[in-house]
Amino acid sequence: MIMAETVERTELELPAPEHESELVRRARKGDLQAYDDLVKRYQERIYATIYHMTSNHEDANDLAQESFIKAYQALKSFKGGSTFYTWLYRIAVNKTINFLKQRKNRTHMSLNDIDFNAEHDSDLIALISEKTPRRDAGLNELQKKLNEALLKLSEPHRLVVVLHDVQGQSHEEIAEIMDCNIGTVRSRLYYARQQMQAELADYLK
Amino acid sequence: MNENESNFEALRRILAFKNRETPPPGYFNNFSAHVVARIRVGETNESSVAWFSKLLQAFEFKPAFAGSFAGALCMLLLFGIVYAERPDAAPQTLLTSSTQISSPLAMASPTDFIPQTGSSGLMIASNNSVLNLGSVASLFNQPNQNQLAQQVSFTVPGN
Repeated sequence: MIMAETVERTELELPAPEHESELVRRARKGDLQAYDDLVKRYQERIYATIYHMTSNHEDANDLAQESFIKAYQALKSFKGGSTFYTWLYRIAVNKTINFLKQRKNRTHMSLNDIDFNAEHDSDLIALISEKTPRRDAGLNELQKKLNEALLKLSEPHRLVVVLHDVQGQSHEEIAEIMDCNIGTVRSRLYYARQQMQAELADYLK
Repeated sequence: MNENESNFEALRRILAFKNRETPPPGYFNNFSAHVVARIRVGETNESSVAWFSKLLQAFEFKPAFAGSFAGALCMLLLFGIVYAERPDAAPQTLLTSSTQISSPLAMASPTDFIPQTGSSGLMIASNNSVLNLGSVASLFNQPNQNQLAQQVSFTVPGN
């Protein structure tokens, strides 16, 4: 009987996934455990965005950490006009663009390894096997070309491509993150795609 | 726009390949712990330089505040220079204070301050009234009336 009660209570006391606004409210009061939970929620997406913008793993690591630290310090100024996620994204994006402006002409790629499952992607297999007899070499070459083509875009154009075509965000979300209207997002996306298509023409025939 | 989307379909497939670039396994295991540790370190350091950094931040984000602060400083400097160079400001104050007190120094005639020369011409004696300022609480306090004048004499070394 006691055991049954204990089990029942344990099940009830299991930490339910807390609502984002509650975590934000606690973090604003200085609760670092709550902020730790928020970091865990968004760390991968924030890191990925910065990585795709910089094509450098170490820079992405530093900038992602700094973005989270800055967000914590500025948490008191977060009014809740947008979601915490969008607000955090804006901080990370601004930090990355400032960094890239300073880093101009000092581009050094430090790329992450390709996911093992990529070799089993039917689209990629079809794409690469037509170009090179050795699939592994083809994947690495494509990765390098793709990152080089992205780095040739201006920061706002690169950001639109990364957020939309790589991370699958909507035009509306991107407009909110970049603090511009949807028309600007669409036109930037069109121009950026045209440039990318020209750069990767060999792979798109 | 749909036509554009279909034109870029192959490009989008390649761009989706970017999602396959992943950080080393276990990379995010300690990520949040590092962030929180850096925040904690920052908070301990922050207390010592908090007011200064807040001032700098205010300058950074509010140029109007920086301008008004600089303007106020310039005005203060200008006021200080003008006030210091005003000919009637300082003597008036001294005159007022000297009439309020009746210390031996204030009562002394200018001839009392002329050094007396002895018969040999080498002995220099002074009858200057030297006030004991040790009991004055601050630089702005007036000396007490009942302070005694001390006689001081100087001898040229070697004689």
